Amino acid sequence: MSLDNAKQWTAEAVEAALASQGVTPGSGRAAKIAAAMNLPKPPDAVRDALPFEVDATSYAAAVRRSQKP
Amino acid sequence: MKEDIDFSLEACHARIERWQPRLNAFIAREMLAAGKSSGPLAGMPMAHKDMFYRAGKFSNCGSKILKGWVASYTSAALERLDAAGAMQIGTLGMAEFAYNPTGHNQHWGDCCNAWNPDYIAGGSSSGSGAAVAARLVWGALGSDTGGSVRIPAAVNGITGLKTTWGRVSRHGAMPLAHSLDTVGPLARSAEDCGQMFEVIAGYDERDSITSREPVGDFRKVAKLSLTISTAWIEKHVEPEVAAAVLAAAKELRAAGLNVKEAEAPDFEALSVQCSTILSTEASAQHLPWMRTRPQDYGSAVRARLDAGYAVPATAYIEALRLRGPWLDRFCATTLASADAYLLPTMTLRVPTRAETGPGGADSACLLPEITRLTRWVNYLGLPALVLPCGFDSRGLPISMQIVGRPFAEATVLAAGHAYQGRTDWHQRVPTL
Repeated sequence: MSLDNAKQWTAEAVEAALASQGVTPGSGRAAKIAAAMNLPKPPDAVRDALPFEVDATSYAAAVRRSQKP
Repeated sequence: MKEDIDFSLEACHARIERWQPRLNAFIAREMLAAGKSSGPLAGMPMAHKDMFYRAGKFSNCGSKILKGWVASYTSAALERLDAAGAMQIGTLGMAEFAYNPTGHNQHWGDCCNAWNPDYIAGGSSSGSGAAVAARLVWGALGSDTGGSVRIPAAVNGITGLKTTWGRVSRHGAMPLAHSLDTVGPLARSAEDCGQMFEVIAGYDERDSITSREPVGDFRKVAKLSLTISTAWIEKHVEPEVAAAVLAAAKELRAAGLNVKEAEAPDFEALSVQCSTILSTEASAQHLPWMRTRPQDYGSAVRARLDAGYAVPATAYIEALRLRGPWLDRFCATTLASADAYLLPTMTLRVPTRAETGPGGADSACLLPEITRLTRWVNYLGLPALVLPCGFDSRGLPISMQIVGRPFAEATVLAAGHAYQGRTDWHQRVPTL
């Protein structure tokens, strides 16, 4: 199995992930979820340049900074 | 038809009798708050999305699971409206657990568009949009996690305010995704939305994210500047919608607002981050029932909840880490030195119920498109006013959206009020 293939979600992997949380997906859903999870993510300029130190609490400071032009 | 509406209780009840069979907007018709003779909203007849709890009364939340559930306390927003003298004459239909943008509901029946019942009423505050549009009530509360105030307001041709995250208490409002959930008004005009907003906004110790930021007075805001991304609109938005929004920008310039060109936000990247947070938080919220009663969810909602359990925790945390930097970027590149950003509410004209329903051939493509221009606003936590700016060739409303800086509801209301002072789209009323 190539590394790319190893990264691919499968219906079985989705079913296992949901089962570990006690959830049984609707009929045919696991395959659809796997297909959606395997779609490439769109480019994200902010994500690609995100500094290592940034955490989720930075949002509150950004809100304060953004209130005035 | 121009507006000349009698909002006496008798007149509202008479209109509800006539319109309810067509719209299915009301879930319950009951005098839940009698109103007062004094107060800023004295005697105004309202009804609200069926997810705002009132002690001793049903809150079904558009669901089978909570059908007949009786709240033991009253929501903060309803308490404030009661204190302001407003009447509540019933509860309004909504998407199941507020988790759908179209107005379809497998358990309670679809709510229909006030201008044409073949078209969607929008979701998730479906009944709020349709009932205000048909003037069954003066105003209504909705909630907005990815567009749920703005889409119903847009497709029904009324005005709706998505508030800043943390501006209005969510105490006693059904949760969907706590990092994104907001409460806001739907009404005929920016002025009416402003009146409701001023009553419901403010700090509440029972909702820890609520802010003490001053509300401001939209009537006193002057010298507004907006940005718009004309090239993006011309490229990505259906021609009739684009033409109406660009004409509205001209009208705003004529009203004395400074409207400048700016780079569009990366709607796709922002929507992905919003969806990651929304799906994981909603699925976590519903985990107990998804373990024990999955069959009691409608198929569309269950499918969305299933998907949330497969999202890695790292993706959720990354979406939260990116929120601040993305807000900084939006303010630096799109708002620049301006007060607000003008764009369409939807890229497309109002879709039909058939094409967006559970069996609709195009529903997989259309559903994300409906919220393409609304979800990013929830991710950034910003206020946004939507208001009608025209009608398409089929007679369905076209809507624009004015997105402001955090806690600048007064700014977006002022811009909308200025526009509505020069146009009459918001005064047009559907007929049976």
